[in-house]
Amino acid sequence: MFDKYTPPFTLNYKGHEISVEKEQGNLIYRRTCEYETIEKILLEADGDFLINPIEPVNLPKPITSFLLIDFERPVMISPGSKQKIYLTFPVEMGIFITGKKGEHELIDILTLNMSKYTLYGNPNRGMICRYWKSEIFISYPNLDTRYEGDIELDIINDTNHWMEVKKSVFNAFGMKIYYGTDRTSMRAFMRIINRHLAETGFMTYTTTPEFRRSMEVYTARKIMLSSIKGIMEHGI
Amino acid sequence: MNVTAYISSLPEVPGIVFSTVGAVLIFIIAIFLGKGLTIYLQRSLKDKIDKGHLDILLKAGYYGLITLVIVAFIFPLIGIDRSGLLVTGGVLGIVIGFASQSIVGNLISGFFLVVERPIKIGDQINIDSNTGFVEDINIFSTIIRTYDGLYMRIPNQTVFTSNITNYVANVTRRFEYIVGIRYSDDADEAIRIIRGIIDNEPFALENPSPSIFVDTLGDNSVNIVVRIWAPISEWFEMKTRLLWVIKKTLEEHGIEIPFPQRTVWFSGEGQTGKLSGKENNYLPKAENDGLPALQEGTR
Repeated sequence: MFDKYTPPFTLNYKGHEISVEKEQGNLIYRRTCEYETIEKILLEADGDFLINPIEPVNLPKPITSFLLIDFERPVMISPGSKQKIYLTFPVEMGIFITGKKGEHELIDILTLNMSKYTLYGNPNRGMICRYWKSEIFISYPNLDTRYEGDIELDIINDTNHWMEVKKSVFNAFGMKIYYGTDRTSMRAFMRIINRHLAETGFMTYTTTPEFRRSMEVYTARKIMLSSIKGIMEHGI
Repeated sequence: MNVTAYISSLPEVPGIVFSTVGAVLIFIIAIFLGKGLTIYLQRSLKDKIDKGHLDILLKAGYYGLITLVIVAFIFPLIGIDRSGLLVTGGVLGIVIGFASQSIVGNLISGFFLVVERPIKIGDQINIDSNTGFVEDINIFSTIIRTYDGLYMRIPNQTVFTSNITNYVANVTRRFEYIVGIRYSDDADEAIRIIRGIIDNEPFALENPSPSIFVDTLGDNSVNIVVRIWAPISEWFEMKTRLLWVIKKTLEEHGIEIPFPQRTVWFSGEGQTGKLSGKENNYLPKAENDGLPALQEGTR
């Protein structure tokens, strides 16, 4: 599914049909599903289409850049230690058109998951986050990559106390998503500073032809950022 | 020749020269102070005031300081009597003060609005029952575009002294529906259906969680209160859409919203009682279904 396609082509994907047709030098992009039909005309377009996972904070419309992952079960971590767990995240697929010079533009986003949002913090000083509830895995989970990807999370407890972690907040600016034939992954860390404060961020994987880095939307838009890290200041 | 004799032999410098040199020096110092004040104000207020207003404020500060130094220090040095100026200025100040009372009030209110910042450009607000989007905050007035698209100028004094409701100051807000169902319907089932609708709504926030409960046993219906938290940018669209979805879904599950109903009793002829079955047929079905059973003792 995550691959580069040369028009014309048609894909059927869990009730979604994606097609691109050539018509008098233009390209007609069309996506139909049970509840909506999207059609776009790409004038004088000549390029390939790339479908890959993107930061899962865009649907139904982008109102935040934060993803909150709520743990099904709390995790306890001992003082001064570093532990690895695996979480899941919802997959959103970005459909890009790419030009011959490597330029690209996002033209559509698709997900098979239900979107839900939540408030992290309080109503006046908190922030809106995309909400996702995840089971905790000790080893790499085998997931259906059409729905879920995995986050390899290093939890670092910098305090002198046992810490209970119930959630993690990530900033989409800074997400580095990788995908292969049977895996969609991110690698992240969460550094606990105290009971109410933690910092999250992302790390890179070594890429191979079978495990590539996604075209990311938030860096592709070239938005100037003050921070690409997630600061959890309303509890962990 | 010793030094004292040398100095004595020098031609006497007139006092006017000293005064002039002193005045020039003080003027130059005033310019430097004015520049310093300008830089300080620019640094401390650049995030709080837009550029156009900041420029006006900086110029007012700069020229105001120089004028003050001229009147306070240079005039006495070059022999200009300030007493006449002060009297004239005082009288003029009183006249101008009375004439520009409201203008100065608005100016000062505008300054405090800028410092306190209860509203920002683009916010949706309610000031003195005037609601709309803040288009601009000027020195003397605040410009609002009402929801009807009208231009409204409100003096800053009014803004500052009125109760201000800023609808978008917080990231989330809550809205509420009251859904009435018939007495014969299962309220637990209705709550389960409504909760399902809210759970499927992306912008109905997971936390703070929605609350759905039977609030009152009304005259005509069992009233279920539905409270939902939503992002501030999405609540209105969701509020205007979701109530109809709830109504339709409840009806699909056989739960109806009852009409207001009233039982009419006729006195006289020794026959008082509930309307006969024939008369009852004129009532809509929903009303009949929702009627509580009459108590025997009231017949």
